[in-house]
Amino acid sequence: MLYLLIVLIGGLLSYFGPWWVIAPVCFAGCWWRSPTASYAFWVSALAGLTLWLGYSTYLHVLSEVDLVSKVAGVFTGGAPALANVPGTILVFVIAALVVGLVSGFSGLAGMKVGRFIHRPAE
Amino acid sequence: MRFIAHFWPLFIAVALIYLFHHSWGVVPPLGKVFNPFQGFLQNEGTNLIKENEAIFIEGLMDEVVVRYDDNAVPHIFANSDDDLYFAQGYVVARDRLWQMEFYTLVAAGRLTEVVGEGALEYDRFNRRLGMARSAIAITKNLEADTLANRILQAYAAGVNAYIDQLAYKDLPVEYKLLNYKPEHWSPYKSILMLMNMRNTLNGGSNDYRLSNVLAQYGPDVVADLFPDYPAVESPIVPEGTDWTFSPLAIPAVPDTVSALPDSNLLALNVPAPRPEVGSNNWAVAGSKSATGLPILANDPHLQLTLPSIWYQIQLSSPHVNAYGVALPGTPAIIVGFNKDVAWGVTNVGSDVMDFYHIRFRDTTFEAYWHDGQWKPTTMHMETFKLKNGKEIQDTLYYTHHGPIVYHEAKPTNYAKGLPVGYSMRWVTNETDGADVLTFHYLNRAKNYGEYRRALSYFTAPAQNFIFSSNAGDIVITSNGKLPLKWKGQGKYLLDGTLAAHDWQGWIPNDQNPEVRNPSRGYVSSANQFPTDTTYPYYLDWKFAHSSRAIRINERLEAMVGATTDSLRALQNDVYNVDARRILPHLLPVLSSNESTRKSEAFQAIEQWDYLNAADAVGASIFENWLDELLAGIWDDEFPKDKRLVYPSLDRTFELIKNEPDAKWFDNVNTMDTVETMDDIVRESFKSALMMLRDRYGNISEGNWAWGTVKRTRIMHLVPNFTSFGRTGIINGGGGGIVNATTGTHGPSWRMVVQLDTEWPVAYGLYPGGQSGNPGSKYYDNMIDRWANGELDTLLFMKHDDEESERLQHHVSLKPKK
Repeated sequence: MLYLLIVLIGGLLSYFGPWWVIAPVCFAGCWWRSPTASYAFWVSALAGLTLWLGYSTYLHVLSEVDLVSKVAGVFTGGAPALANVPGTILVFVIAALVVGLVSGFSGLAGMKVGRFIHRPAE
Repeated sequence: MRFIAHFWPLFIAVALIYLFHHSWGVVPPLGKVFNPFQGFLQNEGTNLIKENEAIFIEGLMDEVVVRYDDNAVPHIFANSDDDLYFAQGYVVARDRLWQMEFYTLVAAGRLTEVVGEGALEYDRFNRRLGMARSAIAITKNLEADTLANRILQAYAAGVNAYIDQLAYKDLPVEYKLLNYKPEHWSPYKSILMLMNMRNTLNGGSNDYRLSNVLAQYGPDVVADLFPDYPAVESPIVPEGTDWTFSPLAIPAVPDTVSALPDSNLLALNVPAPRPEVGSNNWAVAGSKSATGLPILANDPHLQLTLPSIWYQIQLSSPHVNAYGVALPGTPAIIVGFNKDVAWGVTNVGSDVMDFYHIRFRDTTFEAYWHDGQWKPTTMHMETFKLKNGKEIQDTLYYTHHGPIVYHEAKPTNYAKGLPVGYSMRWVTNETDGADVLTFHYLNRAKNYGEYRRALSYFTAPAQNFIFSSNAGDIVITSNGKLPLKWKGQGKYLLDGTLAAHDWQGWIPNDQNPEVRNPSRGYVSSANQFPTDTTYPYYLDWKFAHSSRAIRINERLEAMVGATTDSLRALQNDVYNVDARRILPHLLPVLSSNESTRKSEAFQAIEQWDYLNAADAVGASIFENWLDELLAGIWDDEFPKDKRLVYPSLDRTFELIKNEPDAKWFDNVNTMDTVETMDDIVRESFKSALMMLRDRYGNISEGNWAWGTVKRTRIMHLVPNFTSFGRTGIINGGGGGIVNATTGTHGPSWRMVVQLDTEWPVAYGLYPGGQSGNPGSKYYDNMIDRWANGELDTLLFMKHDDEESERLQHHVSLKPKK
């Protein structure tokens, strides 16, 4: 439920907002309801990953030119060690790291800050 | 503690957002770039069918229709010239915004702002050339020219209308990766674009290197090895053509013709003229064509880049209907045609960049000695902004010649402790004229008279403007501001204290070299000498090597019943005139040795048909051998790393043919032996083969094929973005070949136009694509056809509602009420 909500609201806001707009969505969502810290982190990270990687895949599949590999080449140009990693994997891993970490920690932060405020006597 | 236990994830989240929101060193902001909603994935062109669209824009007076064909070429139909140039700016920016701004940053010496301190020396040099300051002055002058100003303003307004609509996600991918945003466009930036062209085509000089030769070997050797006209030439204006004008008085040659070099700094900075930046154009008269009307061809040779330097476009208003290629960032069509005429350009390449040795009064650089008195310099402060916000300042001094490109105080200066420097007189810094009007009027020209009128506005870089009309005219004019000089003026560094060394004025525009409707039935140019030695004015002592011109003229001479395909075939001609000229003198030297004669390499070059075809092994051997041969003969006496210069290919060939015992063949670095020409020929052949073996393995048809060895590649304008370029392009050609494709340079646009009394038929193609977006299929879609020597049929529309199955979709630009 929370997962779907983050994906839907995050997706909607991402069309208009800045790249980090997923963060407040996760934060608010997990503040609102999240049973555990681990749940908050993972449900947010998964929702962020679904959103970014899903939309990336959609764009990539529809594309007429493999820009993903070209951009990956720009990043691996200065790092020969990465030259053999397929461009698509590299780009998706970077995107996954960025969105996974940001949304995961935002979700966790929402849950923790929520607990702090709502249960001061705990 | 409890606070920390609950808030640490928030701190981490905020820190992560901060981390991914900013760029770190060369790493762009990962959050922005990799987010699919705004990042680079938004630049992936989709293969969904493009829909017709209407865009409402402020600044338009009336609706403009832009129809795109199957090669993504926009055909613009406007109801006024203002709207036309507005729409041109808008449409070109849509496809090439990043590229056009990048060029202006180069010309203005501002690359440090987007790539950082690594570009500082390059920027400093470009500022010292004075281009940015001259662009400001030209823009200011043009404000007084109603028409030019209107054109430039309309164009800039169109570009800005596009920029103002852009959200981050719409930015070209280079902005995202380099993490900056486009600035507003202005007429000044269009002028900067043209300054870049002036620099590319006129920004080289051997004055310094040749002065070193003069200092070391004296005037007799220079006269012998660096003559003022080649032994073999086929000038643009055919030999024997009469000059019908009365020339101005030619300035007398002064007693002193040079200043002696006193430092290598200048030569380190100023590049030698770039032989690979040349071009071909020619036109056959009706007497030689199948249709009885002229056919014109042009292929400008430039560094091959992605995005391409050219952009195909059709511009149509009630006053004009023209098709051709434009430079992204400048209004009008540069090379193209309309219903009645066609035109094109090659570079003239005459000596328009001279250096004056300046004597300063003291270390303040405030005054310099000229014509018997101290004269004040002017001073400008140049500020370089780095990417990190830091600023660096440099002082730029000007004499009456122009900017001082280098100055320093050294104990070796002829007046100890007093600084000397070099001031540059360069046609690029001329601020009169209105180049943009030349193209505006050429786009509208109907006949020879209007062509000549258009040319009169042009300043630089001087071009061999070729022209043909459906009235039957074929013409070439070497046009642009050409300085009036004494014979040999500027062959060496000049003495800035002598008034006699100043430029003496200008060759009158109507006395620039021209050939119109010659009896031979064709006109052509390939950057060779514009005229033979009977032309009354001095232009330069050296022009591009004559091999392309000779081949072009041979084939045109033999041509009868020419069609557009005959001219297309000539553009792709790969015959090696130099090989024909020199191999018969070189091969006998090798064949005297039996083991060499029986070697595979010798057989390959002996049986070679002189064609620099993609699969030719002989071409690979010859081209590498020629390099080694030149180095073998000249590098001991005229080493390039000591800032000297080799004698020309033409002079070298004559030496081999006529003076095999010349002392120059001896390698002066080997004290105890005297090498002969034969020794050098054999040794250079061996070292060429060794080099080929080292790089490409043992000789075989595959390994040593010329297409593989030449290694043609078309790279992105940002050198680090190698994955945005195209490598492994296999085709023939070469430096002195009509198909002038080398590893990095070549025909940047090929066009053939058959004039007609009704409607012209035209073909064209360039090695790239209309889109500057590496994520679009139109980014590099013409490269393979270009490499194969094909041309596209150009869709030249008569009116906006014309039907054609090649038309794909249209965009209506509508005025925002």
